[in-house]
Amino acid sequence: MLQQTVLAFFGSIFPVILFNIDRRKILWAGFCGAIGWIIYSLVSANTNSPIFSSFFGALTVGIYSESMARILKTPTFEFLIPGIFPLVPGMIAYKTLRYIVENNMSSAFSSGTQTLAVGGAIGFGIMLSTTIFKFISRIQKNRKK
Amino acid sequence: METKKVAEIAVSAGEILLSNGAEAYRVEETISKICNSYGLTGDCISNLTGIFISITGPDGEMVTSIRRIRQRRVDLYRVELINSFSRGLMENPVSYEEAKRILGDITNAPSFNLGIRLMAASMTSFVYTLFFKGTVPDAIIALVISLGVYFILQKIDEVGFFQFLQYFLSGLLIGALSVLIQHLFPIIHKDNVITGAIIVLLPGVSLTNGIKDILYGDYVSGLAQFGEAMLIIIAMSAGIVTALSLFMKWM
Repeated sequence: MLQQTVLAFFGSIFPVILFNIDRRKILWAGFCGAIGWIIYSLVSANTNSPIFSSFFGALTVGIYSESMARILKTPTFEFLIPGIFPLVPGMIAYKTLRYIVENNMSSAFSSGTQTLAVGGAIGFGIMLSTTIFKFISRIQKNRKK
Repeated sequence: METKKVAEIAVSAGEILLSNGAEAYRVEETISKICNSYGLTGDCISNLTGIFISITGPDGEMVTSIRRIRQRRVDLYRVELINSFSRGLMENPVSYEEAKRILGDITNAPSFNLGIRLMAASMTSFVYTLFFKGTVPDAIIALVISLGVYFILQKIDEVGFFQFLQYFLSGLLIGALSVLIQHLFPIIHKDNVITGAIIVLLPGVSLTNGIKDILYGDYVSGLAQFGEAMLIIIAMSAGIVTALSLFMKWM
């Protein structure tokens, strides 16, 4: 698990270089991926469900990104995008393609559905954290007036 | 300041944002912030391919401006610079020339050169092959394949907008090379190599931006972003499936 966490850390750092991130924030993007992966594996060890684990991983990534964006005063997606990279269901998505090539449609259907479910769980996790943070900051703004 | 000049600053800032991968709501917010800091009210609609703004001046004169965005890429640093530019304007509305100069500086801001980006792309594949429980030789093969694929992507990008061709070719290359190398060196597992190599091509930015745009009520650009992501995924999958099926037929 330690090895995987270190890999998740580097796996969030290298993609953001492609997106030309500000050099001082590269490390923070790496931590985002590592924390998201730690939560993913903790939930995965207890529930054994990739969908649940992806949801909680994405939720953590979302909360981390929203808080860091407020602390460092940068756009949220500088941390959000690298953070979800380790959670992407690349392996199941590829398996779906391979089953289609092998003309094994029932397996392709089941792994395709799983890919969609995991993708939806990640999307839902991000949506939940974003809306909650937006709701809170809107309430604070309204109070100030 | 004249209404026309405010409109020009606002629309240029919006153009930089949108062509560097910012969400539609951020473009609209930034433009109305810039108008407010010069004491004007402006309306703005932004979707994935263009910006429309209309500003009303103090004497009731209306200025409308449209900008079409054709080339888009992801550059988080420039988005951040525009963000702090518009925040600075709220406290200190600078003159037209000064604002133009700052926007020019942002357009020419430094970005990583091709060598570093190639290194990052290939290292991404290396890391993710190991992450998906591949062996070290698999990871090295994924690194080499990803280096070539990213180079080709960049070269096609310079020619023009050929999104489908780009991703189809990349998928085809990744699939064909992995299968071929597995055939030559049986210790390589093609499944691990392919999963590691395609990570670089994933449309992560379009998907996350699409989610955020929809949450902020920008359905047009949100769904357009999802459409773009689907196109990329389909093109890539078609390439891989083509390569794998051809291999199954011939060998």
